[in-house]
Amino acid sequence: MQFLAPMTVDEALGALSEREDGLRVLAGGTDVMIQRMTGQLPRSESLLYIGGITDLSGVHLSDGTICIGALTTHHDLRCNPVIGTDLPSFAEAAATVGGWQTQAVGTIGGNLCNASPAADLAPPLLAADATLVVSGEDGPQRIPANRFFLGRRRTALPVGQILLKIEVPVPPAATWESYLKVGRRSAMEVALVGLAARFSLAGGLVETARLAVCSVAPVPLRLAHAEAALVGSTLDQGAVAIAAQRSMEEIDPIDDQRATASYRRMLVGRLLGKAARLAREGLEIQ
Amino acid sequence: MTAVGPDTPRSDADAKVRGLANYGVDYREAGMLHARLLRSPVAAGRVTRLDVSTARSVPGVHAVVTAEQAPEHRNGLVLFDTPFFASDTVLYEGEPIAMVVADTPRQAQSAVDTIGLEIEEWEPISNVTEALAPDARLLHPDLDSYQILPGASSWPKSGNCGGVLTSDPGGVDEAFETADFIVEDTFTVPRQYQAYLEPKSATASYDGWRWTLHVSHQFPFQVRSRVAQALGVTDSRIRVVGHHMGGGFGARLDLGLEQYAAIGASLTGRTVQLVNDRTEDLISTMSRENATIKVRSGVTKEGRIVAREFECLMDGGAYAGDTVYLTSIPMFMVGSVYRVGPTRVTAKSVYTNTAPSGAFRGVSGTYICFALERHTDRLAEAIGMDRREFRLRNLFESGDSMLNGQTLEDADILREAFDRVEEVAPWSEAGKGSLKGVGLAATIWLTNPLAGSATLSIQQDGSLGVSTAATENGSGAVTMGVRQIAAAQFGLAAEQVFVTAPDTDTQGYDAGSQGSRTTHVVGMAVQAAAKQLKPRLFNIASGLLGALPDDLELSGGSVCVRDDPSRTVSLATVARTAFGLGGPLSATGAYNVPLPKWDPDSAEGLLFPVFPVPTYHVHLAEVEVDPDDGAVRVTRYVVAQEVGRMINPDGVYGQIQGGVAQGMGYALWEGLETKDGRYTRRTLESYGLPLAVDVPDVEIIILEHPCEAGPYGAKGAAEPPIVPVAAVIANAVSDATGANITSLPIDPEEVLLAIDKRREG
Repeated sequence: MQFLAPMTVDEALGALSEREDGLRVLAGGTDVMIQRMTGQLPRSESLLYIGGITDLSGVHLSDGTICIGALTTHHDLRCNPVIGTDLPSFAEAAATVGGWQTQAVGTIGGNLCNASPAADLAPPLLAADATLVVSGEDGPQRIPANRFFLGRRRTALPVGQILLKIEVPVPPAATWESYLKVGRRSAMEVALVGLAARFSLAGGLVETARLAVCSVAPVPLRLAHAEAALVGSTLDQGAVAIAAQRSMEEIDPIDDQRATASYRRMLVGRLLGKAARLAREGLEIQ
Repeated sequence: MTAVGPDTPRSDADAKVRGLANYGVDYREAGMLHARLLRSPVAAGRVTRLDVSTARSVPGVHAVVTAEQAPEHRNGLVLFDTPFFASDTVLYEGEPIAMVVADTPRQAQSAVDTIGLEIEEWEPISNVTEALAPDARLLHPDLDSYQILPGASSWPKSGNCGGVLTSDPGGVDEAFETADFIVEDTFTVPRQYQAYLEPKSATASYDGWRWTLHVSHQFPFQVRSRVAQALGVTDSRIRVVGHHMGGGFGARLDLGLEQYAAIGASLTGRTVQLVNDRTEDLISTMSRENATIKVRSGVTKEGRIVAREFECLMDGGAYAGDTVYLTSIPMFMVGSVYRVGPTRVTAKSVYTNTAPSGAFRGVSGTYICFALERHTDRLAEAIGMDRREFRLRNLFESGDSMLNGQTLEDADILREAFDRVEEVAPWSEAGKGSLKGVGLAATIWLTNPLAGSATLSIQQDGSLGVSTAATENGSGAVTMGVRQIAAAQFGLAAEQVFVTAPDTDTQGYDAGSQGSRTTHVVGMAVQAAAKQLKPRLFNIASGLLGALPDDLELSGGSVCVRDDPSRTVSLATVARTAFGLGGPLSATGAYNVPLPKWDPDSAEGLLFPVFPVPTYHVHLAEVEVDPDDGAVRVTRYVVAQEVGRMINPDGVYGQIQGGVAQGMGYALWEGLETKDGRYTRRTLESYGLPLAVDVPDVEIIILEHPCEAGPYGAKGAAEPPIVPVAAVIANAVSDATGANITSLPIDPEEVLLAIDKRREG
């Protein structure tokens, strides 16, 4: 195997284009290295370490858009003041990834491109209607978040390209968002269920509702029918009950070593109820 | 000032914190080879092809070993049911089939990967129910012909049962007839992995006659006799040297990889090292056995327990290991702590196509206590009596006897423990509020009585060396307990005492770090050695000081004349003088705990007959349950533990905090479940060990009742704090939610459903 460590995006893309047999992109390594160790990825596979490309990390706010570099670590997302103020669900999700060591090296780009059904950053991304900017054949190309995840460990990122950044519009005023995750323990957990919720109010009523979940289907997904039940409501019990019921119909959870499908189904409805409760407090809905 | 008491740091702390301590996996020798095992990928089947010819030709390979090169006879701890390598049949996933020895671990693994292995797979017998079915395939058709440990008395075994204990004193059925209510419960618990930090390893060399093994093991003398047994040679041809140990918790009491390293060394004539990777360690280690427990009790409406039946099916896995002994544990728990009337007990160690199970801190006691104390809550509920009041009404008193006929002379300590818990956490106020609850549980536990020895020698610089095969498993029993006891015997500071690593060639027997025995037993051996050594020391000092030996005493590293403290001679001078006279100033002491009386007719199959030097324990936990996900948060944890006397409070407190954390893991997150005979959780990432963020600071109440036959009054302390933890947490969760918790780890889904049911009701 070879280990390549380009210092620029162009070098990285050059390396990718030269090799037909593929090159595994390595960022923080918190997934790739484990998959190699456990034999899910061949150990003979060469690695393209992009962690040395400095201009792919960091958070920038310009023209009403928040740009998150693909190599921004979970630790930096957790601590960034722009994220903390405008996209708290991203900060909350980053704070639940593994433990402090994982957060110190793991990146948002890695979390998304690895496309685990349990990716913690995926629900906030989907709920925020974010856009993924990839290197592209002839310059950067944009992929909407809801078209990015194609299946377990499969994304719309074209072969030979890399993810550059994530763009998220600054949410409107009177918006509340959060990421709620259930694991068996308080840290070091793969989500049994993760739910990102975002509610924007207009005239005291919910104008937009965004609900996205992970660990309940082969891909992270939006709960469109549940969202629809909440639009125009005050997140009152009646509307939330309908949304919770719909949410459980929109998902396709499985039994595995971590939890049963039936528990995951229960959790989605309850997390939705919890999000509504917290949002009513946060938005001071009477 | 005595070295026994607080503020004595452990002697290995600095080296361990700085990374200077060498563990078994760190051991290296020049020219050392590395081995890897081929383990069975399936739980059960017949080996139809084993072709190692390619493996032999892989570069760097020195030897490929299969059953053909290994001794044919079976070996075992007490029942000799285990082949060296599986050959015709494989009985569990992870069972060793072959081994490759090569220049590097990678070469060895590459060669293992080339071995042609074909197995005709059988439907595994994956649980005790399948194993005990009338037409079940027998894992050991030749069970009756297997040898047992010389000196062990035989015990009942048949079919897929490696051991059966039965106790029926008569009068049980009649006693049930006097009950107003009869309550029956069934409990199930999974396996628990010891999850020590250092994976198992062994390094062996061979000089043409004798083998030397370098290990991190709780019981070097057991390694010696078990490797000898497996190889079919006499004990003295094996030397075992101990190194720092990255945790054991019972998993390093029987053989791990030592016999394989040994045969690799004798076949190649080179030093051979074998180290488990984490997944093979997890799937092949003797973890705590899974079990199914049935308890049925009769109770009167006044709140007396009048009769009991108890049945326990322990899944011993493919080979019996020490579960044959563990079937005796119910005899010390089912009719202790509370008076329960005539009691019938059955316990079986059952063979299944799973990895052999075995010793884990609080052997079998964790789940027996869980079953009994959940059942105790259910009895109180059945008659509408307060749970604490019900316990106190049936509580053991001094002079009461356990089911084995052993009398507990000091069982009144239980009442004291309940009272002391009440002082800090009043029952009437505990666990109040929505989705909050409180649980209570009590137990007794033993101090393992097996023999130990120590050799003391005064060094020429006046310090004291302690040579013992006792092992420091991380608890501090050697680096604090034994060292402090030795220092106190000679009026030295603990810093002036060093303890050597175990070496079976040069030290007396020691039965290993198990059952909280080290501080107690080896401490007594140190005292016995000191008793011999002091007169000789005073004799020499007597000449140097011109005073009678009887007028001398030890103080601050010197010998002085009692009535004239100005006349002193340093221990260094005394020791140098002794060297000049032709020998070191040294003596060896040994000790084993005198066994209390028991009734040999109390049970059939009672291989482990008594609970010597018992200690008493009451735990209380308060929990809060999350209404959205059913997760259990332990908000308060109180332990009242009787220890005899604390040699080092930091050590005792640390063991209690750690035992509670390990018990919380068992109660809430851990557990090895099998599917088709294979463990489903196979890494520490998915296993679910307790985390610092989830474990509360334990409130600790120490009860000291110095033990007359104990070093400075000390009894065993380290093992038992794990025993009642699952019981109290389960009782608290049941109190908080109404869920009748009958299995571990506590299932948040079950908890949520119970919360819903209670709301609807």
